[in-house]
Amino acid sequence: MLSIEFIFLPFLGCLLIVLINVYFGIHVIKREIIFIDIALASIAALGSAVGMVLFESISVDHSHEEHGFFPYLFSLGFISIASFAFTLLKHKKISIPLEAIIGIAYAVATTLTVIILDKGAGGDVHVHDMLVGTILWISGHQLTRLALVVTIVGVFHIIYRKKFMSLTESFHNHDNKINRHMLWDFLFYFSFGLVVVEAVNIAGILTVFAFLILPASLAVLLGGNWMSKLIVGWLAGITASLAGLLFSLKLDVPSAPVIITLLGIILLLGYLLYKIPKFRRAAKEISES
Amino acid sequence: MGTLLFLAPPIVACIILAGILSYFGNHILSRGIIFIDIAVAQIAALGTMIGILLGFAENSANAQIVSYAFTIIILGIFSVMKVKNQVLPQEAIIGIFYCIALGMALLLAEKIPGGSNYITKTITGNVLWVTWKSVLYCLLIFIPVIIINLVMGNIIKKVSHGELAGNSMSRTRIYDLVFYITFGIVIVKSVPVMGIFLVFMLLIGPASISRIFVRSWTGRIIWGWIIGAAGSLLGIYISYSMNISNGPAIVSLIGIATYIAAFAKLYMKRADKNILKQINFGN
Repeated sequence: MLSIEFIFLPFLGCLLIVLINVYFGIHVIKREIIFIDIALASIAALGSAVGMVLFESISVDHSHEEHGFFPYLFSLGFISIASFAFTLLKHKKISIPLEAIIGIAYAVATTLTVIILDKGAGGDVHVHDMLVGTILWISGHQLTRLALVVTIVGVFHIIYRKKFMSLTESFHNHDNKINRHMLWDFLFYFSFGLVVVEAVNIAGILTVFAFLILPASLAVLLGGNWMSKLIVGWLAGITASLAGLLFSLKLDVPSAPVIITLLGIILLLGYLLYKIPKFRRAAKEISES
Repeated sequence: MGTLLFLAPPIVACIILAGILSYFGNHILSRGIIFIDIAVAQIAALGTMIGILLGFAENSANAQIVSYAFTIIILGIFSVMKVKNQVLPQEAIIGIFYCIALGMALLLAEKIPGGSNYITKTITGNVLWVTWKSVLYCLLIFIPVIIINLVMGNIIKKVSHGELAGNSMSRTRIYDLVFYITFGIVIVKSVPVMGIFLVFMLLIGPASISRIFVRSWTGRIIWGWIIGAAGSLLGIYISYSMNISNGPAIVSLIGIATYIAAFAKLYMKRADKNILKQINFGN
């Protein structure tokens, strides 16, 4: 039973990420801004790199896990600037998809980080950690921070769920009738950014991206209304993370790729089911009742 | 003069690529599948890893054939998955493919000695290492791509804008496949040389700037080419004089220019319409 104890904290971490990411994933797929999570993660990384260079270059202590105060402050600052830019540039005068603007921000942020940290040694090793993280070694402190951020953002989104939902539903028509929709758009991106910073710090960019897109895609295919979509996504995400953590422990393989593969298999099965018309009708009936 | 000769092949490579990527970039913006080139590069890298696992040497022709075959199969699946009433946006499907390809690559990396090298390899690249030989080699491969796209250009353009007559799905899929395969060849060839971010930026950045200001299709492609080439030249010059890597310099330069252009358009007054008219060649 040692193994159960060993994966308890990582599973809690996955659970929190799944709960909030499936919700954001459905929003993100409807808005067709799939890669916003990777973009926000690299913008936050750029911010913390700038903060590190400006304020902590003298510090000898390179603790891996704890974020310093200034780097964190800078990553929040950079995220809010980016959120503001994304809000402004979704405009009918700008005839390119918002995803292109986001992609450009992603490329610039990543390469600027490379320029800034060029002199740092061992950069290659960090790439691997940055991609898949080290969720098996999650600490109590990291888990608490994640839980705190997920709770705050989650409660905020539950209270104002109608605003955020109608904002996303009408995202592609430019005559938006929602009061002060720019403010709400900004709050959407910024609150998502807060979650991404904490989640990526624990699980890595790729794993967080997988939790965002794969279960939510299944949800969009099979679910009807928002609630049934959320339940489909949550079930898929929780199953994959629990099975993935157990497999990776039993077979001694890295957990993140296994979880991603399992999420992919679940999605493929769901897609094949969706292709059977009879099942599609049944799923629709269940989700509508 | 010595430095100029040394810089000539990378400059020529950038100018050629800026042109071909401006063409594909405009298509990709119309289709809204921004991240397809990063996904294709990742799928090709996974294909190479599969080739190595099958026992071929890394740079052998066999490993390359496996990589191309794998990429073409995945692109085929991708074009078949396009349906009339798309529930899941195509960009989401690209995200899923990218995610799973990278996850599989990480899993396979455990099985190949020094395997994690293949994952980081696609990220960097150095324009300065481009030689005349590789420029020529790229050009030889690009010529059929260019010819195919010139011949079928009108139909592919209609497909990209969802205007194909009759809207027949099977015809759409065939032209999609032609588009994706020619695009895939360009990406697989150019990413190892230039690095994934430079290719991504040359694809999206100049096309975005020209699309914001220019209305005609040909105008957009030509202006994208000019902007991409100018950005590359300026970026190489900056990187040379400030002693920073050239790829990141070009990427940051074009990227920031795109943001400036977008905000300029957002706050542009009506008086500036004359300038727009001139850019649009009077249209």
